[in-house]
Amino acid sequence: MRYAPAILVGRLTRFAARLRKPGGGSAVPGLVVNRIAPNYLRRTLSGFPQGVVVVSGSSGKSTTTKMLVAILRAHGMHVFTNPSTANISQGLTSALLEQADWQGRVPGDVAVLEMDEGHGALVMQGVDARVVALTNVMVDQIDRFHDSDMVAGMLAKIASRAGEAVVVNADDATLERLAAGLRPDVAVHRYGVSDAVLAASPRGLGYTETNAARLPDGGGVVVESVDGSSAVLRDGAASVDVGLPARGTHYAVDAAAAYATAKAVLGARFSNETAAAALSAIPAVFGRGERVTVRGQQVEFVLVQNPSSYQLNVDSIAPGTEQILFAIGSDVRDPSYFWPTDASSLGRVAIVSGSKAAEAALMLAYDGVEIDRVEPDLARALDDFLAAPAPASGVKTIVFSADSMRRTRAHLGLTGAE
Amino acid sequence: MTITIASLIPSLQNTNGDAENAAVLAARARWAGLAARVVQVESRDDLPDRVDAVVIGSGSDSALEAARDVLRTMHDELRRWGTEGVPILAVGTGWELLSWGVERDGVPDLEGLAILPGRAVPRTERVTGDLVVDSPRYGVLVGFENHARDYVQAEASPLGRVRAGEGNGRGSSQEGVVMGAVIGTHLHGPVLAKNPVMADALLAIAAERAGLSYAPGAQAAVVDAYAESARHAQLRAAGVGASVHPK
Repeated sequence: MRYAPAILVGRLTRFAARLRKPGGGSAVPGLVVNRIAPNYLRRTLSGFPQGVVVVSGSSGKSTTTKMLVAILRAHGMHVFTNPSTANISQGLTSALLEQADWQGRVPGDVAVLEMDEGHGALVMQGVDARVVALTNVMVDQIDRFHDSDMVAGMLAKIASRAGEAVVVNADDATLERLAAGLRPDVAVHRYGVSDAVLAASPRGLGYTETNAARLPDGGGVVVESVDGSSAVLRDGAASVDVGLPARGTHYAVDAAAAYATAKAVLGARFSNETAAAALSAIPAVFGRGERVTVRGQQVEFVLVQNPSSYQLNVDSIAPGTEQILFAIGSDVRDPSYFWPTDASSLGRVAIVSGSKAAEAALMLAYDGVEIDRVEPDLARALDDFLAAPAPASGVKTIVFSADSMRRTRAHLGLTGAE
Repeated sequence: MTITIASLIPSLQNTNGDAENAAVLAARARWAGLAARVVQVESRDDLPDRVDAVVIGSGSDSALEAARDVLRTMHDELRRWGTEGVPILAVGTGWELLSWGVERDGVPDLEGLAILPGRAVPRTERVTGDLVVDSPRYGVLVGFENHARDYVQAEASPLGRVRAGEGNGRGSSQEGVVMGAVIGTHLHGPVLAKNPVMADALLAIAAERAGLSYAPGAQAAVVDAYAESARHAQLRAAGVGASVHPK
């Protein structure tokens, strides 16, 4: 009964918010409930019988969270999870309210939470996690996180909430140092890639500091090989074939992270066959190497979120791709940290767009990329790009930042995943 | 004659892409028809016989001491280049390491290489954002700043006067420090791409010292048009309106 009045107010707020903005998910109900019942978030999260599992890190946390949830559900667990956009207190509370009964109770065996590395430490205050999984340390959003030390410090705070186990990427030297500083009663589980997979990524995996050595036999879950959108995970004696939501080594690493974390959560109940089936059934992700047909044209979308995903994704675009639209939006406040990347393999870009079009054009030009046109108005750029005849070979390719992706999706009327 | 640009310790000092200024200089030299190369100098052994320009970027605080120790092994060269007029662009903590020293809260001060006058002192709060500077030499300089320390005792020879942002801080309204052709600045990232007037000034010095002459190539005009749009956009964002053209 304790939270019934707050829940009622939260529901009314949500109803009012939806009248104002139909279909919109709003953080306002969470803001209201956090104000009138400040302990609601902490107490509700602490109420899941099999505890809280947190996924954080610089890159790959959304995909890893989705994969982990899929594996746990395939094992018959009832999982509460937050949409990736709801990972600060009010958003998380709003997400809980969506599922809550009139007393504020949220059904489920376990909560799997994707945590922003910047907000996670604050949100997790007073909340004990069973298992914390960490993906990697990269420097993105330089005006939020000025360097990797700061990211490592924030992740260490989140990891310190783990009571049972922490799952780390063994190839990331920063995370291995973090793991070495954990309480001795907290188990450390590891995942990583094989020498062959690392060797096949000539620019490395994008971590701030990559460990010199790979995981030894029996040291954890290893991505043994990646072939397009499928991969082989080695788990002790077992070789597990998994399908990935898109091409790319980083998806295979996310799958290994989810697999290792599910194993830590489920213990003896874990089945590698069930996990492989669940991973392989995850649909392709919008904006990440997905091909769609828009206005009668085949278009491939490539999302860039940080320098390493930028480099990996740019490298994966076939050389000689004739028609590329490159859009960087206001989410990239200061593009400086993208400059160490090399986009010369693109050769030529048809249109550079987005609110940071000039900055993007400047960077591409110094990489030696020819630019046909700079059009800051993304809607006009998209219309013109799609109206041009289809390329003789390959498909039209749109490279965008998250902000430009949202605007593109809205402009083209694309809905769905994410 | 190839123009050789030394990029110092890029593995540690490239947090904001500042080390890429070496590539910017090389690209502009090539567009002007000059041969140019960038040499990554991680240790003294990597130093080329001849150096025509030097770039050192910004790194993380945990790498400060390690980077300083590497720079110390090149102390004589740095001092000689500075005296002889080799252009040196030092950004962020790379600049701080070339100063008298870096004062830090809770940890002992770090002695610098004393190539540039002044020292870095802690701020109460990190500053991040647009930085616009009126420079008597290079016109309006536009870029980003992101630093946890102010810079004091550079009063005699700043790079310019702050029009938007914090710069050297401590109420000085100044940004950067200049001694001969050695420049220290908080303007991070591809500052030379964004401010081609400064890039060309440094290249002209480097070329002249090498017995060559530098005049910007045709491709520079194409690329500088993008820089001009980016400068306009950032000046608008920083709330600085008039006289955006380089002088």
